[in-house]
Amino acid sequence: MAKAIKVKNLSKEFKVKIKGKGLKGSLKAIIKPQVKVIKAVQNISFEVEEGEIIAFIGPNGAGKSTTIKMLTGILFPNQGQVSVLGFNPKTERQKLAYQIGTVFGQKEQLWMHLTPYDNFMFFGAIYDLPEKEAESRINELSEVFGLNEFINTPVRNLSLGQRIRCEIVASLIHKPKVLFLDEPTIGLDPVVKENIRVLIKKMNKEFNTTIFLTSHDVGDIEKLCKRVIIIDGGQIVLDDTMENLKYHYLNRKLVEAKMKEKIDINDEPGITVIKDKGYNLKLEVDTNERSIADAIKLLDPDKMIDINISNVPLEEIIREIYQKEGS
Amino acid sequence: MRKYYYIFKANIMSNLQYIFNIMISFINYFILIFIYLNVWQYIYSDPSKLIYHYSVQQMVWYVIITEMLWFATSGRILCQNISNDVRSGNIAYNMNKPYSYIGYVLANHLGEILVSGLLYGTAGLIMGLILLGGIPTLSLAYIPFILIVIIFSVIINTMLITVVGLISFWIEDSSPFYWLYSKLLLVFGVFFPIEFFPKYLQGFLQYSPVYVTIYGPAKLFVDFSYVNLFKIISVQTLYLVIAYLGCQYMYERGVRKLNVNGG
Repeated sequence: MAKAIKVKNLSKEFKVKIKGKGLKGSLKAIIKPQVKVIKAVQNISFEVEEGEIIAFIGPNGAGKSTTIKMLTGILFPNQGQVSVLGFNPKTERQKLAYQIGTVFGQKEQLWMHLTPYDNFMFFGAIYDLPEKEAESRINELSEVFGLNEFINTPVRNLSLGQRIRCEIVASLIHKPKVLFLDEPTIGLDPVVKENIRVLIKKMNKEFNTTIFLTSHDVGDIEKLCKRVIIIDGGQIVLDDTMENLKYHYLNRKLVEAKMKEKIDINDEPGITVIKDKGYNLKLEVDTNERSIADAIKLLDPDKMIDINISNVPLEEIIREIYQKEGS
Repeated sequence: MRKYYYIFKANIMSNLQYIFNIMISFINYFILIFIYLNVWQYIYSDPSKLIYHYSVQQMVWYVIITEMLWFATSGRILCQNISNDVRSGNIAYNMNKPYSYIGYVLANHLGEILVSGLLYGTAGLIMGLILLGGIPTLSLAYIPFILIVIIFSVIINTMLITVVGLISFWIEDSSPFYWLYSKLLLVFGVFFPIEFFPKYLQGFLQYSPVYVTIYGPAKLFVDFSYVNLFKIISVQTLYLVIAYLGCQYMYERGVRKLNVNGG
């Protein structure tokens, strides 16, 4: 299969001004400014196949967005080679722009006072789509993304979930071959998140769009991607299939329970008590060995006031991967 | 060009939401013109008197036009937005779209000021006709030329403000530079025509932004001549080229030092 993205030994450094404490530090910074070099991305290499949905994940400041920005031509690398659909983003940014779409979850690209329809026509014109073609594309995407109900409502009056759907459609209007989604589900409630995931999957299937996704949300990754790259401190920590990641790292769930009365509970195979503060208990369940139901039974549902089941935080998984690699 | 037309159109559509706000800002404009009318009528005392070849009627029309340009095409927000975009790194998000940033800013700003320009233009003309009775020496045949000069003046002003805004790539805040630029226009172009200043200053002002953005259109409106038209359009053309190249140069140099925060 052809490669949509090729990255080899990519690095990016930022120079950040540093300033001493207080007034003295501020004055000193004027006379003798000092800068600190931050290595945002360090010597990373990977490839993405056409039509693949890949998750590019990591904690805050890991280098995810910096990498996306280098792949889309927004930032210039200090070192290394990048090729997206055969284009060099640094020197062929405009040509590449016609072939890719971007959604930055924290950056709106829609015009708030215009309706989604007018916005889409606007983006159609920006990407040199003839008016008739833009219109038929809007109809097609509105159908897929279920926008017909609010396509003529000004964007400012839409809910966050509807807006994100429109953001994605706006970035798909020109039939991009690669779509970069940077935290597309940030700030959305679980129901809307799930809708967006379904739509992303549908889009990948129907248009064979390569999707490069960054997210903090383990759910996004689990449900969408077959391959995961984990980045931390600007370096790739893991590049593996979702199946392996799930088996080795996402198999554990946290069960937090608030009890009516104190209960005696001890570690069991596949269930570890990680916090026992009398009425508040926290268990870690290895779902490869035991089910969540086993853990709930162990806690005694009759004595339970409240329960919360969650994934192990991404940061913890990354730490664990590091420890494994180190040992 | 179609994409720039769409950017322009999208901004007009967005700004139609603010018609009421624009009309509220007319109050300032009306008050200022009323003050000028009284000041100039007092200074002239004899209506047949000429000061630097301007009659009282021409003088008040001059201020009506310059104040209209000043209010309708104010670039304070444009400069602030560019400056904020540079500092926050948001300017980078325009880079992965298939258009020129300068073209985008220009189409965007022109769309933004078109609605206010038309409203201020209409209000200014009505007010002038009511207060002064007529427009001196203006014939219908001159209007297309004056409109071209006004369009050029607005484009040049937008590009010069863009240059000022892009200074933020090198210094934290470009607003002091905008303050200087706007005060240059205000003091040497909006309040008085260039002829009112000492000869040594006139030489400088005739090649300054004041001449091409404020004085030129107003001068042609109150005292049209083909000689003046040719001179103003020539200097404007020179400014269009210089301002465009300046914008491109600043932008190209600036984005190379862009630091966008990672996620």
